[in-house]
Amino acid sequence: MKVGYLCTFTPKEIIYSAGFQPFRVFATERPIELASAYIQSYSCSQARGALECALKDDFYAFVFTRCCDTLMRLTDIFEFAGKRVYNIEFPTKIGNVEYYLRELKDFVEVLRDWGGEVSFESLVESLKLYRELEEGLKQLFSVFPDYETAIKVQQIDVKDAIKLVDEKLKSAKKEKESPKVLITGSVCPYPKIYDLFREAGFSIKDDLCTGSRFFEYIYPTFEPEDLEGALRFIAEKYFYKSPCPTKHYESDRRFEYVIKLAEDCDAVVFLLVKFCEPHFFDYPQLKSELEKMGKKVALIELEFPVVSTEQIRTRIEALREVIL
Amino acid sequence: MISAGIDIGSITAKCVILQGDKILAYSILRVKPNLEESAREIFEKTLELAGLSKEEVDSIVATGYGRGRVDFANKKITEISCHAIGSHFLIPDVGTVIDIGGQDSKVIAVENGKVLDFVMNDKCAAGTGRFIEVMANALGLKIEQIGELALRATERLKISSTCTVFAESEVVSYLSAGKKVEEIIAGVCDAIAGRLIAMASRVGIRREVVLTGGVAKNLGVRRAIEEKIGFGVKVPPEPQIVGALGAAVLGSG
Repeated sequence: MKVGYLCTFTPKEIIYSAGFQPFRVFATERPIELASAYIQSYSCSQARGALECALKDDFYAFVFTRCCDTLMRLTDIFEFAGKRVYNIEFPTKIGNVEYYLRELKDFVEVLRDWGGEVSFESLVESLKLYRELEEGLKQLFSVFPDYETAIKVQQIDVKDAIKLVDEKLKSAKKEKESPKVLITGSVCPYPKIYDLFREAGFSIKDDLCTGSRFFEYIYPTFEPEDLEGALRFIAEKYFYKSPCPTKHYESDRRFEYVIKLAEDCDAVVFLLVKFCEPHFFDYPQLKSELEKMGKKVALIELEFPVVSTEQIRTRIEALREVIL
Repeated sequence: MISAGIDIGSITAKCVILQGDKILAYSILRVKPNLEESAREIFEKTLELAGLSKEEVDSIVATGYGRGRVDFANKKITEISCHAIGSHFLIPDVGTVIDIGGQDSKVIAVENGKVLDFVMNDKCAAGTGRFIEVMANALGLKIEQIGELALRATERLKISSTCTVFAESEVVSYLSAGKKVEEIIAGVCDAIAGRLIAMASRVGIRREVVLTGGVAKNLGVRRAIEEKIGFGVKVPPEPQIVGALGAAVLGSG
């Protein structure tokens, strides 16, 4: 049975270990129709598109983790629309593992109520499988950032996902190194957008939820010995995943992360979903920091479903001409 | 060397044939749904005006949103680079290009013809020629009358909506209230200028400011922009062909 989730901070390993199929919900190519009855058009189109999926497709339940305001209020809308929903209060300020551990224990109980039993063995197995997938994706992206695969693996069984990444890795051809663009933003579930960058002559690196932020983690170094230990492992794993603008970190971890990624790039593109507040609030300051490094910066706004790509192509090609 | 620049825009196709720094001929046509056909037609018409055959043209560069459809071009370059180069060719000390096209507008920061930064509006009709077209229709005017009429206004009404559809409602509401057409039109020109200057502020406004695109011919919009930035702008004799000219310059090596 499919359990939908939207944010990369969702502990999908626990959902899988309880016997459910974690399925990351994205806006699709379908126009947004039914969702308009529940959510305003000035909400981001990822939220609207995800609601459209929830209303049209078959899911057992949905799991939210606290991230941006829009997605938090979407939890209420899903409930209002009659969906089975659980909200994990991921701390906005990263640091308190004990608090998040309690949240994860509560979540295990919720899954039990839904008919899914989480055991120490099943959770360790799930952690192992997802780590194998994440490391496979890291390898694949070091050769060729394959966004179609990165998106697909979030919607299939993790064992099939590992096989798919292995196959892709065997046939992947190394992308040329230069000129390189860093694409930063939240989600872009449309592989054709990444193709536009390649067609303009760029190689790609990313800081996206549909790209490397799905698989970049700093794993805890301890081996879990019981269920609580395994949940603690998950809490720490997600605290030290690639940072996102919806979270508050000690020091300036988010900016430092993007700046480090941009170091070997010729240009940076902010690929932002219209009305995505956390990313847009960071944009002016981050843009200025990147320009101080001598990087050419462009902003491309997206609205899902992306229907007209030619205007986006012009912006990308113009950026390529600027750095020539 | 003879080079041709072909700019396939959303409403018009433009072609310039250049020899050295001399424009031999240019032409402007309304585009047809078949962009390949529009490109061939505008090229042939301009060749005829220049008294040349295709074989005498050494290089053809296509630009504009339909550049990908000009299958006989040697090279395709975005309108961002072409407007920068075309403006620099005509006005060498250009620092900012404001291009107001039929369905998009763009502001380009330029230094010695090189693009430093750019910003585009293409998702919304506000700040484009389409905005004026809709307002002209609501007022029962021809598009060519708008600029002159705006200059005659002694008062300028406020059009506060950014959205073209809502702005049209405001225009209709002013008409119902018995306001003068020229005062409404002056408000329409001011609204476009406001939108463009907001965009321009994102890349910075540096002298000289050059207006290009079809809307640059509108004296009402030009005056409103000048008032907002506090100094005069420069408009090439035929602002609509600047993109095609830039393409021809880039084609000449």
